Amino acid sequence: MLPSPARHQRADGGVLARFTAAPRGAAPASLYQTAPLRLLLPDPEPDEVTTAALLNTGGGLAGGDAVRIGLDLAAGARLTVATAAAEKIYRSLGPPTRIAVELTLEPGAALEWIPQETILFDGASLARATTLRLAPGSRLLAAETLVFGRAARKETVTTLNLHDAWRLHLGDRLIWADALRLRDGAALADRFRFGAAGALATLLCVGPDPLALLAVLRGALAGPARADATQPAPGVLLARILGDATAVRATVAAAILAVRAPLLGLPSRLPRLWTT
Amino acid sequence: MTTAMATPITTEADLGRLLAWTSPAYPIGGFSYSHGIEMAVEVGALRNRADLVAYIAAVLADGAAAVDGPLLAAAWRAAQAGDAEALDAVAVLAAAFRGTAETALESLQQGDSFARITQSAWPDAGFAAFVARHPGRLAHAVAFGAAAGFCALPLRAACYAYLSGFVANLVSAGVRLVPLGQTDGQIATAALIADVARATDMALTTALEEIGSAAPMLDLFSMAHETQYTRLFRS
Repeated sequence: MLPSPARHQRADGGVLARFTAAPRGAAPASLYQTAPLRLLLPDPEPDEVTTAALLNTGGGLAGGDAVRIGLDLAAGARLTVATAAAEKIYRSLGPPTRIAVELTLEPGAALEWIPQETILFDGASLARATTLRLAPGSRLLAAETLVFGRAARKETVTTLNLHDAWRLHLGDRLIWADALRLRDGAALADRFRFGAAGALATLLCVGPDPLALLAVLRGALAGPARADATQPAPGVLLARILGDATAVRATVAAAILAVRAPLLGLPSRLPRLWTT
Repeated sequence: MTTAMATPITTEADLGRLLAWTSPAYPIGGFSYSHGIEMAVEVGALRNRADLVAYIAAVLADGAAAVDGPLLAAAWRAAQAGDAEALDAVAVLAAAFRGTAETALESLQQGDSFARITQSAWPDAGFAAFVARHPGRLAHAVAFGAAAGFCALPLRAACYAYLSGFVANLVSAGVRLVPLGQTDGQIATAALIADVARATDMALTTALEEIGSAAPMLDLFSMAHETQYTRLFRS
Protein backbone atom coordinates (compact mmCIF):
# COMPACT_ATOMS: atom_id res chain seq x y z
CA MET A 1 0.00 0.00 0.00
CA LEU A 2 1.09 3.58 -0.53
CA PRO A 3 2.34 5.44 2.51
CA SER A 4 -0.41 7.26 4.38
CA PRO A 5 -0.51 11.00 3.79
CA ALA A 6 1.07 13.28 6.38
CA ARG A 7 0.43 17.00 6.41
CA HIS A 8 3.95 18.39 6.19
CA GLN A 9 5.08 16.07 3.46
CA ARG A 10 5.59 17.90 0.23
CA ALA A 11 5.27 14.71 -1.78
CA ASP A 12 3.95 11.34 -0.77
CA GLY A 13 3.29 8.94 -3.56
CA GLY A 14 4.56 6.18 -5.65
CA VAL A 15 4.13 3.49 -8.21
CA LEU A 16 2.86 0.01 -7.49
CA ALA A 17 2.71 -2.27 -10.49
CA ARG A 18 2.49 -5.93 -11.34
CA PHE A 19 3.62 -7.25 -14.70
CA THR A 20 2.82 -10.60 -16.26
CA ALA A 21 4.69 -12.33 -19.08
CA ALA A 22 3.88 -11.13 -22.60
CA PRO A 23 5.33 -11.92 -26.05
CA ARG A 24 7.42 -8.71 -26.02
CA GLY A 25 8.44 -9.09 -22.38
CA ALA A 26 5.84 -7.89 -19.91
CA ALA A 27 2.36 -6.43 -19.72
CA PRO A 28 0.97 -4.48 -16.76
CA ALA A 29 -1.63 -6.54 -14.91
CA SER A 30 -2.15 -3.71 -12.44
CA LEU A 31 -0.70 -0.23 -12.15
CA TYR A 32 -1.38 2.27 -9.38
CA GLN A 33 0.47 5.56 -9.47
CA THR A 34 0.25 8.74 -7.45
CA ALA A 35 2.10 12.03 -7.84
CA PRO A 36 4.91 12.77 -8.09
CA LEU A 37 5.79 9.40 -9.67
CA ARG A 38 4.56 8.06 -12.98
CA LEU A 39 5.45 4.93 -14.90
CA LEU A 40 5.32 5.28 -18.69
CA LEU A 41 5.44 2.37 -21.12
CA PRO A 42 6.72 3.63 -24.46
CA ASP A 43 6.97 1.21 -27.40
CA PRO A 44 10.30 -0.60 -27.07
CA GLU A 45 12.88 -0.92 -29.82
CA PRO A 46 12.25 -4.00 -32.01
CA ASP A 47 14.83 -6.21 -30.25
CA GLU A 48 14.33 -4.85 -26.71
CA VAL A 49 11.93 -6.17 -24.09
CA THR A 50 9.17 -4.03 -22.59
CA THR A 51 10.76 -0.87 -21.24
CA ALA A 52 9.21 1.24 -18.49
CA ALA A 53 10.22 4.83 -17.85
CA LEU A 54 9.93 6.04 -14.30
CA LEU A 55 9.25 9.76 -14.13
CA ASN A 56 9.21 12.19 -11.22
CA THR A 57 6.83 14.95 -12.27
CA GLY A 58 7.86 17.00 -9.23
CA GLY A 59 11.37 17.45 -10.59
CA GLY A 60 13.14 16.36 -7.41
CA LEU A 61 12.62 15.34 -3.81
CA ALA A 62 12.97 17.48 -0.70
CA GLY A 63 13.26 16.65 2.98
CA GLY A 64 10.02 15.12 4.23
CA ASP A 65 9.09 13.74 0.82
CA ALA A 66 8.36 10.04 0.73
CA VAL A 67 8.00 7.88 -2.34
CA ARG A 68 7.58 4.19 -2.79
CA ILE A 69 8.18 2.05 -5.86
CA GLY A 70 6.90 -1.52 -5.82
CA LEU A 71 7.24 -3.68 -8.90
CA ASP A 72 6.23 -7.35 -9.10
CA LEU A 73 7.21 -9.45 -12.08
CA ALA A 74 5.15 -12.62 -12.48
CA ALA A 75 6.71 -15.84 -13.76
CA GLY A 76 8.45 -15.32 -17.07
CA ALA A 77 7.91 -11.54 -17.28
CA ARG A 78 10.86 -9.60 -18.72
CA LEU A 79 11.14 -5.86 -18.10
CA THR A 80 13.63 -3.00 -18.29
CA VAL A 81 13.04 -0.03 -15.99
CA ALA A 82 14.97 3.22 -16.30
CA THR A 83 14.30 6.79 -15.27
CA ALA A 84 13.71 9.60 -17.70
CA ALA A 85 16.17 11.87 -15.88
CA ALA A 86 18.50 11.98 -12.92
CA GLU A 87 16.73 12.18 -9.54
CA LYS A 88 17.60 15.20 -7.40
CA ILE A 89 17.59 15.18 -3.61
CA TYR A 90 17.46 18.78 -2.39
CA ARG A 91 18.84 20.25 0.81
CA SER A 92 16.73 19.19 3.77
CA LEU A 93 15.66 21.52 6.56
CA GLY A 94 15.50 18.56 8.93
CA PRO A 95 13.46 15.51 8.01
CA PRO A 96 14.92 13.05 5.51
CA THR A 97 13.66 12.27 2.05
CA ARG A 98 12.43 8.68 2.09
CA ILE A 99 12.54 6.33 -0.87
CA ALA A 100 11.42 2.70 -0.63
CA VAL A 101 12.01 0.39 -3.56
CA GLU A 102 10.63 -3.14 -3.53
CA LEU A 103 11.27 -5.36 -6.53
CA THR A 104 9.81 -8.87 -6.55
CA LEU A 105 10.65 -11.45 -9.18
CA GLU A 106 8.84 -14.76 -9.57
CA PRO A 107 10.51 -17.82 -11.17
CA GLY A 108 11.80 -17.15 -14.66
CA ALA A 109 11.24 -13.37 -14.42
CA ALA A 110 14.02 -11.05 -15.58
CA LEU A 111 14.38 -7.43 -14.52
CA GLU A 112 16.82 -4.78 -15.64
CA TRP A 113 16.62 -1.96 -13.07
CA ILE A 114 18.82 0.87 -14.33
CA PRO A 115 17.66 4.25 -13.06
CA GLN A 116 19.85 7.23 -13.87
CA GLU A 117 21.89 8.98 -11.18
CA THR A 118 20.53 10.19 -7.85
CA ILE A 119 22.13 13.58 -7.22
CA LEU A 120 22.51 14.54 -3.56
CA PHE A 121 22.67 18.29 -3.12
CA ASP A 122 24.80 19.67 -0.29
CA GLY A 123 22.66 19.38 2.85
CA ALA A 124 20.54 16.53 1.51
CA SER A 125 19.16 13.92 3.87
CA LEU A 126 18.12 10.66 2.25
CA ALA A 127 16.95 7.35 3.69
CA ARG A 128 16.55 4.87 0.88
CA ALA A 129 15.77 1.18 1.24
CA THR A 130 15.91 -1.19 -1.71
CA THR A 131 14.44 -4.64 -1.09
CA LEU A 132 14.87 -7.31 -3.72
CA ARG A 133 12.90 -10.56 -3.49
CA LEU A 134 14.05 -13.02 -6.08
CA ALA A 135 12.59 -16.46 -6.70
CA PRO A 136 15.09 -19.14 -7.68
CA GLY A 137 15.50 -19.08 -11.45
CA SER A 138 14.85 -15.33 -11.84
CA ARG A 139 17.46 -12.93 -13.18
CA LEU A 140 18.33 -9.39 -12.12
CA LEU A 141 20.58 -6.59 -13.27
CA ALA A 142 20.38 -3.57 -10.97
CA ALA A 143 22.53 -0.44 -11.18
CA GLU A 144 22.24 2.64 -8.97
CA THR A 145 24.49 5.69 -8.90
CA LEU A 146 24.79 8.29 -6.17
CA VAL A 147 26.34 11.64 -7.10
CA PHE A 148 27.60 13.78 -4.23
CA GLY A 149 26.83 17.38 -5.04
CA ARG A 150 26.04 19.14 -8.30
CA ALA A 151 29.12 18.31 -10.33
CA ALA A 152 28.42 20.97 -12.98
CA ARG A 153 28.54 23.65 -10.25
CA LYS A 154 31.60 22.06 -8.64
CA GLU A 155 29.56 21.85 -5.46
CA THR A 156 31.40 20.35 -2.49
CA VAL A 157 29.22 18.35 -0.14
CA THR A 158 30.02 19.14 3.48
CA THR A 159 26.65 18.39 5.05
CA LEU A 160 24.98 15.12 4.19
CA ASN A 161 22.88 12.53 5.92
CA LEU A 162 22.56 9.33 3.95
CA HIS A 163 21.39 5.83 4.74
CA ASP A 164 21.11 3.70 1.62
CA ALA A 165 20.24 0.11 2.46
CA TRP A 166 20.00 -2.97 0.25
CA ARG A 167 18.44 -6.30 1.16
CA LEU A 168 18.48 -9.19 -1.28
CA HIS A 169 16.35 -12.26 -0.58
CA LEU A 170 16.67 -15.40 -2.66
CA GLY A 171 13.65 -17.57 -2.07
CA ASP A 172 12.76 -17.03 1.59
CA ARG A 173 16.34 -16.38 2.68
CA LEU A 174 18.19 -13.08 3.14
CA ILE A 175 21.44 -13.70 1.27
CA TRP A 176 22.99 -10.24 0.90
CA ALA A 177 22.64 -7.04 2.89
CA ASP A 178 24.43 -3.74 2.59
CA ALA A 179 24.08 -0.14 3.65
CA LEU A 180 25.93 3.06 2.99
CA ARG A 181 25.84 5.36 6.00
CA LEU A 182 27.12 8.92 5.90
CA ARG A 183 26.46 11.40 8.66
CA ASP A 184 28.49 14.24 7.12
CA GLY A 185 30.65 14.87 4.09
CA ALA A 186 33.99 14.12 5.79
CA ALA A 187 34.24 10.53 4.55
CA LEU A 188 33.94 11.74 0.94
CA ALA A 189 37.38 13.39 1.00
CA ASP A 190 39.24 10.66 2.91
CA ARG A 191 41.63 8.51 0.88
CA PHE A 192 40.54 5.23 2.54
CA ARG A 193 36.81 6.02 2.43
CA PHE A 194 35.65 7.68 -0.83
CA GLY A 195 39.01 8.90 -2.09
CA ALA A 196 37.59 12.33 -3.03
CA ALA A 197 35.24 10.71 -5.55
CA GLY A 198 32.16 12.62 -6.65
CA ALA A 199 30.05 9.55 -7.33
CA LEU A 200 29.59 5.93 -6.33
CA ALA A 201 27.74 3.32 -8.35
CA THR A 202 26.58 -0.08 -7.18
CA LEU A 203 25.79 -2.79 -9.69
CA LEU A 204 24.19 -6.12 -8.78
CA CYS A 205 23.73 -9.18 -10.98
CA VAL A 206 21.88 -12.36 -10.07
CA GLY A 207 21.53 -15.17 -12.57
CA PRO A 208 22.98 -18.42 -13.84
CA ASP A 209 26.74 -19.04 -14.14
CA PRO A 210 27.97 -16.25 -11.84
CA LEU A 211 31.67 -17.05 -12.27
CA ALA A 212 31.55 -16.59 -16.05
CA LEU A 213 29.59 -13.37 -15.60
CA LEU A 214 32.08 -12.13 -12.98
CA ALA A 215 34.85 -12.42 -15.57
CA VAL A 216 32.74 -10.46 -18.09
CA LEU A 217 31.97 -7.80 -15.49
CA ARG A 218 35.60 -7.40 -14.41
CA GLY A 219 36.62 -7.04 -18.03
CA ALA A 220 34.11 -4.24 -18.55
CA LEU A 221 35.21 -2.25 -15.50
CA ALA A 222 38.58 -1.10 -16.82
CA GLY A 223 38.23 2.60 -17.38
CA PRO A 224 38.58 6.04 -15.91
CA ALA A 225 36.75 5.22 -12.65
CA ARG A 226 38.06 3.03 -9.82
CA ALA A 227 35.98 -0.09 -10.18
CA ASP A 228 35.98 -3.78 -9.39
CA ALA A 229 33.63 -6.68 -8.85
CA THR A 230 33.16 -9.58 -6.47
CA GLN A 231 30.78 -12.35 -5.46
CA PRO A 232 29.93 -11.42 -1.84
CA ALA A 233 27.33 -14.18 -1.50
CA PRO A 234 26.77 -17.33 -3.58
CA GLY A 235 25.17 -16.37 -6.89
CA VAL A 236 25.30 -12.60 -6.22
CA LEU A 237 27.68 -10.38 -8.18
CA LEU A 238 28.48 -6.91 -6.92
CA ALA A 239 30.44 -4.14 -8.61
CA ARG A 240 31.44 -0.82 -7.03
CA ILE A 241 32.40 2.08 -9.24
CA LEU A 242 33.96 5.16 -7.68
CA GLY A 243 35.11 8.36 -9.37
CA ASP A 244 33.90 11.65 -10.76
CA ALA A 245 30.32 11.60 -12.01
CA THR A 246 31.22 11.51 -15.71
CA ALA A 247 33.69 8.64 -15.33
CA VAL A 248 31.28 6.66 -13.16
CA ARG A 249 28.47 7.08 -15.70
CA ALA A 250 30.73 5.87 -18.52
CA THR A 251 31.87 2.85 -16.51
CA VAL A 252 28.34 1.93 -15.40
CA ALA A 253 27.22 2.15 -19.04
CA ALA A 254 30.09 -0.12 -20.11
CA ALA A 255 29.20 -2.65 -17.41
CA ILE A 256 25.49 -2.67 -18.35
CA LEU A 257 26.45 -3.13 -22.01
CA ALA A 258 28.72 -6.06 -21.16
CA VAL A 259 26.29 -8.02 -18.98
CA ARG A 260 23.01 -7.34 -20.84
CA ALA A 261 23.54 -10.08 -23.40
CA PRO A 262 24.93 -12.91 -21.24
CA LEU A 263 22.63 -12.23 -18.28
CA LEU A 264 19.38 -11.07 -19.89
CA GLY A 265 19.69 -11.97 -23.56
CA LEU A 266 19.29 -8.29 -24.50
CA PRO A 267 21.23 -6.41 -27.17
CA SER A 268 24.59 -4.90 -26.18
CA ARG A 269 23.34 -1.37 -26.36
CA LEU A 270 22.03 1.11 -23.82
CA PRO A 271 18.27 1.64 -23.66
CA ARG A 272 17.26 4.87 -25.38
CA LEU A 273 16.33 6.48 -22.04
CA TRP A 274 20.01 6.42 -21.12
CA THR A 275 21.22 8.01 -24.32
CA THR A 276 18.70 10.80 -24.92
CA MET B 1 21.29 1.71 26.02
CA THR B 2 21.99 3.35 29.39
CA THR B 3 22.81 0.04 31.06
CA ALA B 4 25.06 -0.92 28.17
CA MET B 5 26.95 2.37 28.48
CA ALA B 6 27.48 2.03 32.23
CA THR B 7 30.95 1.12 33.42
CA PRO B 8 30.95 -2.66 33.64
CA ILE B 9 32.41 -4.71 36.43
CA THR B 10 34.74 -7.19 34.80
CA THR B 11 35.81 -10.04 37.03
CA GLU B 12 39.16 -11.77 36.63
CA ALA B 13 37.36 -14.80 35.18
CA ASP B 14 35.61 -12.57 32.61
CA LEU B 15 38.90 -10.93 31.73
CA GLY B 16 40.49 -14.36 31.36
CA ARG B 17 37.92 -15.41 28.78
CA LEU B 18 38.20 -12.19 26.81
CA LEU B 19 42.00 -12.32 26.78
CA ALA B 20 41.89 -15.93 25.59
CA TRP B 21 39.23 -15.33 22.92
CA THR B 22 41.06 -12.32 21.42
CA SER B 23 44.58 -13.69 21.71
CA PRO B 24 46.45 -14.37 18.46
CA ALA B 25 46.98 -17.82 20.03
CA TYR B 26 43.24 -18.57 19.85
CA PRO B 27 43.40 -20.83 16.78
CA ILE B 28 40.89 -19.28 14.40
CA GLY B 29 43.32 -18.36 11.63
CA GLY B 30 43.27 -14.57 11.97
CA PHE B 31 46.91 -14.32 10.90
CA SER B 32 45.93 -15.29 7.34
CA TYR B 33 43.64 -12.28 6.72
CA SER B 34 44.81 -8.75 5.87
CA HIS B 35 41.38 -7.18 5.16
CA GLY B 36 42.63 -5.59 1.94
CA ILE B 37 45.90 -4.27 3.41
CA GLU B 38 47.93 -6.56 1.14
CA MET B 39 46.39 -4.90 -1.94
CA ALA B 40 46.69 -1.38 -0.51
CA VAL B 41 50.41 -2.04 0.06
CA GLU B 42 50.77 -3.54 -3.43
CA VAL B 43 49.39 -0.42 -5.15
CA GLY B 44 51.39 1.98 -2.98
CA ALA B 45 48.40 3.39 -1.07
CA LEU B 46 49.80 2.11 2.24
CA ARG B 47 53.52 2.73 2.65
CA ASN B 48 54.26 3.51 6.31
CA ARG B 49 52.99 3.53 9.87
CA ALA B 50 50.87 6.66 9.44
CA ASP B 51 49.14 5.09 6.43
CA LEU B 52 48.47 1.91 8.40
CA VAL B 53 46.91 3.90 11.26
CA ALA B 54 44.73 5.85 8.80
CA TYR B 55 43.63 2.62 7.07
CA ILE B 56 42.65 0.88 10.31
CA ALA B 57 40.94 4.04 11.62
CA ALA B 58 38.76 3.97 8.49
CA VAL B 59 37.95 0.28 9.08
CA LEU B 60 36.94 1.09 12.67
CA ALA B 61 34.81 4.18 12.01
CA ASP B 62 33.36 3.51 8.58
CA GLY B 63 34.32 -0.01 7.50
CA ALA B 64 33.70 -3.53 8.77
CA ALA B 65 33.78 -2.50 12.45
CA ALA B 66 30.92 -0.02 11.91
CA VAL B 67 28.77 -2.99 10.88
CA ASP B 68 30.21 -5.78 13.01
CA GLY B 69 30.30 -3.79 16.27
CA PRO B 70 26.52 -3.19 16.38
CA LEU B 71 25.92 -6.78 15.20
CA LEU B 72 28.07 -8.08 18.06
CA ALA B 73 26.09 -5.96 20.53
CA ALA B 74 22.76 -7.15 19.10
CA ALA B 75 23.87 -10.80 19.33
CA TRP B 76 25.01 -10.25 22.92
CA ARG B 77 21.66 -8.69 23.91
CA ALA B 78 19.61 -11.45 22.27
CA ALA B 79 21.75 -14.19 23.86
CA GLN B 80 21.50 -12.50 27.27
CA ALA B 81 17.72 -12.28 26.95
CA GLY B 82 17.46 -15.88 25.80
CA ASP B 83 15.66 -14.63 22.68
CA ALA B 84 16.56 -17.33 20.13
CA GLU B 85 14.42 -15.78 17.40
CA ALA B 86 16.11 -12.39 17.67
CA LEU B 87 19.53 -14.03 17.86
CA ASP B 88 18.84 -16.07 14.71
CA ALA B 89 17.74 -12.91 12.87
CA VAL B 90 21.00 -11.18 13.88
CA ALA B 91 23.00 -14.18 12.69
CA VAL B 92 21.27 -14.24 9.29
CA LEU B 93 21.66 -10.48 8.82
CA ALA B 94 25.33 -10.61 9.80
CA ALA B 95 26.14 -13.50 7.45
CA ALA B 96 24.48 -11.56 4.61
CA PHE B 97 26.10 -8.20 5.50
CA ARG B 98 29.41 -8.87 3.72
CA GLY B 99 30.87 -6.48 1.20
CA THR B 100 33.17 -8.77 -0.77
CA ALA B 101 33.91 -12.47 -1.28
CA GLU B 102 37.12 -12.28 0.75
CA THR B 103 35.77 -10.27 3.67
CA ALA B 104 32.88 -12.77 3.77
CA LEU B 105 35.41 -15.63 3.94
CA GLU B 106 37.41 -13.74 6.57
CA SER B 107 34.40 -13.33 8.85
CA LEU B 108 32.56 -16.61 8.26
CA GLN B 109 35.62 -18.87 8.44
CA GLN B 110 36.82 -17.23 11.66
CA GLY B 111 33.27 -17.28 13.05
CA ASP B 112 33.00 -20.99 12.36
CA SER B 113 36.40 -21.72 13.92
CA PHE B 114 35.67 -19.50 16.91
CA ALA B 115 32.37 -21.33 17.49
CA ARG B 116 33.96 -24.78 17.35
CA ILE B 117 36.91 -23.98 19.60
CA THR B 118 34.81 -22.03 22.09
CA GLN B 119 32.33 -24.90 22.39
CA SER B 120 35.19 -27.28 23.18
CA ALA B 121 37.11 -25.09 25.58
CA TRP B 122 34.27 -23.10 27.22
CA PRO B 123 31.15 -25.28 26.73
CA ASP B 124 27.73 -23.65 27.09
CA ALA B 125 24.43 -25.33 26.18
CA GLY B 126 22.77 -22.17 24.88
CA PHE B 127 25.73 -21.28 22.68
CA ALA B 128 25.95 -24.87 21.37
CA ALA B 129 22.28 -24.86 20.36
CA PHE B 130 22.72 -21.50 18.60
CA VAL B 131 25.80 -22.65 16.70
CA ALA B 132 24.03 -25.86 15.63
CA ARG B 133 21.30 -23.75 13.98
CA HIS B 134 23.83 -21.84 11.78
CA PRO B 135 26.41 -24.34 10.53
CA GLY B 136 29.21 -22.50 8.72
CA ARG B 137 27.13 -19.30 8.58
CA LEU B 138 28.26 -17.36 11.64
CA ALA B 139 29.99 -14.03 11.26
CA HIS B 140 32.94 -13.80 13.67
CA ALA B 141 31.47 -10.79 15.49
CA VAL B 142 28.13 -12.54 16.04
CA ALA B 143 29.70 -15.81 17.24
CA PHE B 144 31.81 -13.73 19.65
CA GLY B 145 28.91 -11.56 20.83
CA ALA B 146 26.62 -14.54 21.35
CA ALA B 147 29.28 -16.49 23.26
CA ALA B 148 29.88 -13.45 25.48
CA GLY B 149 26.15 -12.97 26.01
CA PHE B 150 25.45 -16.58 26.93
CA CYS B 151 28.11 -16.54 29.65
CA ALA B 152 27.18 -13.01 30.78
CA LEU B 153 30.46 -11.26 30.05
CA PRO B 154 30.00 -7.46 30.25
CA LEU B 155 28.91 -6.15 26.85
CA ARG B 156 31.17 -3.13 26.63
CA ALA B 157 34.24 -5.09 27.64
CA ALA B 158 33.39 -7.85 25.16
CA CYS B 159 32.89 -5.38 22.34
CA TYR B 160 36.05 -3.45 23.16
CA ALA B 161 38.03 -6.69 23.36
CA TYR B 162 36.71 -7.93 20.01
CA LEU B 163 37.55 -4.65 18.25
CA SER B 164 40.99 -4.53 19.91
CA GLY B 165 41.69 -8.05 18.69
CA PHE B 166 40.58 -7.08 15.19
CA VAL B 167 42.90 -4.05 15.24
CA ALA B 168 45.83 -6.11 16.58
CA ASN B 169 45.36 -8.58 13.75
CA LEU B 170 45.33 -5.84 11.09
CA VAL B 171 48.40 -4.18 12.64
CA SER B 172 50.17 -7.54 12.52
CA ALA B 173 49.27 -7.92 8.84
CA GLY B 174 50.55 -4.40 8.17
CA VAL B 175 53.81 -5.05 10.03
CA ARG B 176 54.45 -8.10 7.86
CA LEU B 177 53.36 -6.50 4.56
CA VAL B 178 54.69 -2.91 4.55
CA PRO B 179 56.98 -4.07 6.28
CA LEU B 180 57.25 -2.21 9.58
CA GLY B 181 59.35 -2.86 12.66
CA GLN B 182 57.67 -4.64 15.56
CA THR B 183 57.94 -1.48 17.66
CA ASP B 184 56.31 0.58 14.92
CA GLY B 185 53.44 -1.89 14.98
CA GLN B 186 52.93 -1.33 18.68
CA ILE B 187 53.12 2.45 18.20
CA ALA B 188 50.32 2.06 15.61
CA THR B 189 48.27 0.01 18.08
CA ALA B 190 48.71 2.66 20.75
CA ALA B 191 47.71 5.40 18.30
CA LEU B 192 44.43 3.56 17.59
CA ILE B 193 43.29 3.16 21.21
CA ALA B 194 40.91 6.14 21.07
CA ASP B 195 39.50 4.91 17.74
CA VAL B 196 38.70 1.53 19.33
CA ALA B 197 36.87 3.29 22.18
CA ARG B 198 34.86 5.39 19.71
CA ALA B 199 34.00 2.30 17.65
CA THR B 200 32.85 0.60 20.86
CA ASP B 201 30.62 3.58 21.69
CA MET B 202 29.15 3.41 18.19
CA ALA B 203 28.62 -0.37 18.46
CA LEU B 204 26.59 0.05 21.65
CA THR B 205 24.46 2.94 20.41
CA THR B 206 23.71 2.07 16.77
CA ALA B 207 20.45 0.25 16.09
CA LEU B 208 20.60 -2.65 13.64
CA GLU B 209 18.44 -0.85 11.08
CA GLU B 210 20.91 2.07 11.13
CA ILE B 211 24.13 0.15 10.54
CA GLY B 212 26.18 0.78 7.45
CA SER B 213 29.63 1.55 6.13
CA ALA B 214 31.12 4.50 4.28
CA ALA B 215 34.38 3.23 2.88
CA PRO B 216 34.04 1.94 -0.70
CA MET B 217 37.82 2.36 -1.14
CA LEU B 218 38.32 -0.45 1.40
CA ASP B 219 35.85 -2.65 -0.52
CA LEU B 220 37.72 -1.92 -3.74
CA PHE B 221 41.06 -2.96 -2.19
CA SER B 222 39.44 -6.20 -1.04
CA MET B 223 37.90 -6.87 -4.47
CA ALA B 224 41.18 -6.15 -6.25
CA HIS B 225 42.93 -8.57 -3.88
CA GLU B 226 40.88 -11.43 -5.37
CA THR B 227 42.84 -11.09 -8.59
CA GLN B 228 46.16 -9.91 -7.10
CA TYR B 229 48.93 -11.93 -8.76
CA THR B 230 51.04 -12.84 -5.74
CA ARG B 231 49.24 -13.14 -2.42
CA LEU B 232 50.33 -14.17 1.05
CA PHE B 233 46.97 -13.49 2.70
CA ARG B 234 43.44 -14.81 2.16
CA SER B 235 41.91 -11.31 2.22
